[in-house]
Order: sequence, then C-alpha cells, then structure tokens
Amino acid sequence: MISNSNTAKTPAQVIKEFGNCIELVPTDKHFQNISIGLYVKNRIFTVWSFSNKKGVSKRITQIRDQLVSLGGLSPISSSSSQAEFSCNVMHNRPVKFLISQAVNRDPNFSHPEGPMSIKDTKSDLTILVTGKQRENHYVYQVEVVGEAKNPTMRLRMIMAGFVRYGEMEKVGDNEVVFQCRERHDSLMRLLMPYSRNISSVETMMAAESMRGQMTTSTLGFSQT
Amino acid sequence: MDNKETMTSKERVLNALNMKPVDRTPVANPTSVATVELMDLVDAPFPEACQDPELAARLAATEYTELGFDCVSPYFSIIQESSALGCDMQWEGKDNWPTVRMNNPIWKSSSDVKVPQGFLEHRDIKAITESIKILRQELGNDVAIIGKTMGPWTLAYHVFGVESFLLGTVDDPTETMKCLEKLTEISILMGQAQIDAGADALTFPDHATGDLVSGEYYKRFLQDIHSQMVDKLPSPLILHICGKTIDRMPYIAQTGMASFHFDSKNDPQEAMDAVDGGIGLVGNINNPETLYARGPSEIRNEVYKCLEAGVQMIAPECAIPLATKIENLMEIPAAVKEWTAERHP
Repeated sequence: MISNSNTAKTPAQVIKEFGNCIELVPTDKHFQNISIGLYVKNRIFTVWSFSNKKGVSKRITQIRDQLVSLGGLSPISSSSSQAEFSCNVMHNRPVKFLISQAVNRDPNFSHPEGPMSIKDTKSDLTILVTGKQRENHYVYQVEVVGEAKNPTMRLRMIMAGFVRYGEMEKVGDNEVVFQCRERHDSLMRLLMPYSRNISSVETMMAAESMRGQMTTSTLGFSQT
Repeated sequence: MDNKETMTSKERVLNALNMKPVDRTPVANPTSVATVELMDLVDAPFPEACQDPELAARLAATEYTELGFDCVSPYFSIIQESSALGCDMQWEGKDNWPTVRMNNPIWKSSSDVKVPQGFLEHRDIKAITESIKILRQELGNDVAIIGKTMGPWTLAYHVFGVESFLLGTVDDPTETMKCLEKLTEISILMGQAQIDAGADALTFPDHATGDLVSGEYYKRFLQDIHSQMVDKLPSPLILHICGKTIDRMPYIAQTGMASFHFDSKNDPQEAMDAVDGGIGLVGNINNPETLYARGPSEIRNEVYKCLEAGVQMIAPECAIPLATKIENLMEIPAAVKEWTAERHP
C-alpha cells in the first residue's frame, strides 16, 4: 500500500543523475499543481518533477522549451527535458528567475520582439537597452528616456538591478556585461522587469520564501 | 559506514529517547519533513495528506524510505485536534500549511472546553491514528513511529485565539489554569489513541515560545502540567517549543519528558549545558536559512555542531518548509553517518 515511488527514479537516483536542485517551483498552476525542480549537473540543466501524473513528460518538455525561448539556452538534442548555455557559464541567479517564468507564465508567452525596452515602474521613464560587441565583450548599454525628476538616480538604481539579478558586471556608467562576456539578449529581456524595481522584487522573493514555512509567527494560525 | 550499524532505526531512536547507548546518533524528526517533491513522489499532496490515512502514511513513509531518517511521523501539521474540535479551518493548498482561522475562536472560557462526541472518529483524527496502523503494518517493527499530540497551550491558542488567551494569563491566571487543565484531556485522548495505534513515541508541541512568553511563564503555567503528561501518557514524550528557550530549559529538564525538540535560535552546547542531562535534546538544524535556502555543506556544519555538543537526536528544528529541497534533507543522515565514521572508525 505504501508505494515508495510513483516514478521510475528515486530522489537519490535523480540527484545522482541530474545533480543539485538549484530551484524548486512548488506548484505549477498550468499543470495540476505539480512541483517542478531545476537540477543541474556538468552545466546541463534538467527540468524534473517527481509527479507521475499523465502528461507530465509533455509539460516538462514545454517548460524546457520555455527555458530555450525565454532564456536563450540551447536544448540538448538527445533529451526532452534538458538544456544548457552555449557559453558554458551557469548564470545561476538569472536562471532562478527564468525557471520561475517558464513555469508560471502562460505556456505560450514569449518575449516581445523589437527593441529591448520597458516602462519604468517608479517614474515615467522608459528603459532602453542596446547591445553591441566591443572587442571580446558583448556590452549592454542601458538608457532612460522621458521626463523624470532625477533620471540619473533612476538609471543608477536600474543598473544596480542588473548587477544584482543578472550577476552582471558594470563596465561603464551605464554599461553592463554578463559573467561570460557573451551575448544573451533573451536573458536581458527577462531581467528587465526585475531590475527596474529591486525593492518590489525583494519583497516578492521574501513572501515566496515564507510560503510553506511554519514559523513562530504563524504557529498554525492563518493571518486572516 | 553502514556495516557498523548494529541497531534498527527503532532501537536507535528508542535508546536515544531513553538515554541509553546507541550505535550512532539517530536522525529522528519529531515534527514534519513533508515536502512538495515528496508529495509528488507518492501522489499524496496537502491538504489531503492531512485528512486521509493512506495518503498520510504514504507521505510519512518517505522519511524512512527516501530520506534515510530513523523514524516516520505522519502528523505533519499542528491543527488536527483543532479541526476535530470544530475550529474554523483554512486548509490551504499543496504548498502551504493548513491553519486555524484566528478571527473566529470557538470557545471563550474554561466552561466551554469539552471533548465533542465522536472526537476520535473525526476524519482528521483518524487520518493520524489509522495512518500509524498502516505504517506499522507496512514498515514493520524496524522503524520508529513518532505520533504527535498538541499540548494545552497550543490548543488554547487555537480555540480561544492567541491574543485573548495570552491576555487571560495576565487578567485571570486562575481561569487560565482551569483552561489548560481541561485542555489536557484532549492532549491525553489524542496521545493515547496514537499509542494504541502503535506509535513508539509522541511529540508534544506546546508553543510557549520564546518570543511570546517568558521562562517564568513556562514554570508557572506549564511545568507541572507537562510533568503530569509523563505519568498519563505511557510513551516517551518529546516536548516541542519553538524559539529561544534556553531560559526555560532547566524547568523543562525537570518534567520527566524524554526529549526536548529545540530551535536553532539556541546554541547546541549552551542548550546541552542548560538541560544538564535532565532531558535529551533533538533538533536543531535551521529551517528558513539553512535547510530551505542553503546547501549540503552548510547543513553538514550544523549537524556536526550538534553532534559535537552531544545532542542525542539530530533533526530539523521544526516542521520543514514545504519547498525544501530533498538533497538538503538527505544530507542530514549522510552527515551523521560520516561524522560517526570519522569519530568512531
């Protein structure tokens, strides 16, 4: 009666085969609330769920394909659940946002095409990002356009967002590069909504991390 | 490493609870190690796994079969009795804990406290008692089954409301004592039912937590009640209180309970000194920062720190966050085994 597993693999086998779980999305609202883990070994990312519900494999492939579409990873041709960065760098922090988007967004969501731009949430400015190759680096230049009280200050904060959430390096007043120094336009588009508002993102992440924790402040009581 | 083990998991846990020698320190979680991934693994999600004995048993079994702990604990939450008493419940979903709604307490005074007819037959009580029977039948006698019965202080929060109950301790302490004494009937009833079902030990959460009440409050309101529980429940009892509790540990050590499940806010060595051999300790691997957000190496450090201090059983400090990664949990028994091999080759 007590089945120790619904899937062919035990947790120990999954860890051995696919490596560490770097991010766990507790419920996939687009597929029966299953949990989705992103495991990584030898720089190969594997989308995994311990659920054995009918259709899980298809959903996992859908999520893997979103990693490719939204994050610019390259699919592993022999697998329907794995992908990797061609630059061979892990990009850990952005990947955590990426898997969250790949699971939580509508499965048909894609980045907008055209110039990389987004409205600022704290001013009437628009944030524009352009990339260009400079010697061995692919540099992203960030600008703000429009009317605001202190655009320079806003730009500085937005730059800090890219450094924080993209693990990017600032190479000029308004220029950043990824760790690998290579071009990652999809990741840049992914990071733009996060980088424009650090305080909201931090609040959101804190709230997410508190969910499912039994703490001395909850003690089994709802807060409502 | 494993070939040096000479005890079953159950023997190891019971010996540790009785302060007898063990072949290695047991990993025995008194609260919950349920996670969303384990729920998926055996198709036993919350909240159903808190309501259905088969699902509860299936999920609890993973603690032993998948994580390698020395016990199983099918009572994951802290609200089963309160649900059966008629509290307004918010069952939540798979990724969050079921809770008691605080804006609608069911009782106002000690005269309201009574055990409803059919309490032990309530779905949320049978989910626990029947799951214990299933676990015993399916896993045999090699693994320790740890049940759980809520102490009167925790029950009082649920049935009277936290604020109202705590204010009452100031305004009318005599009435508070009456409430607590009457509520112990429920603790005993629930505990005995689990012992009858086959539980080897009981966790006794009674949340006189460090950030809500003082050590002196513990002594005044709960120490005697907890001592009485030892006589009334024929099973090793593991008291669980969250938060910084060093100030009440000397009192807790005098209750006669077998073990105290302590929080990471307490330094292991300081806690061992505070109880001074009067009670065993279990815990105190940090949940929100270490198990949830960090990785195996940090977990190993905390396990080693507990082992070096002589903590009798190693476990997370409280019910773990539901999105904890499995590899982090598996690291706890792995670290205990490695430490044992290093120290006792």
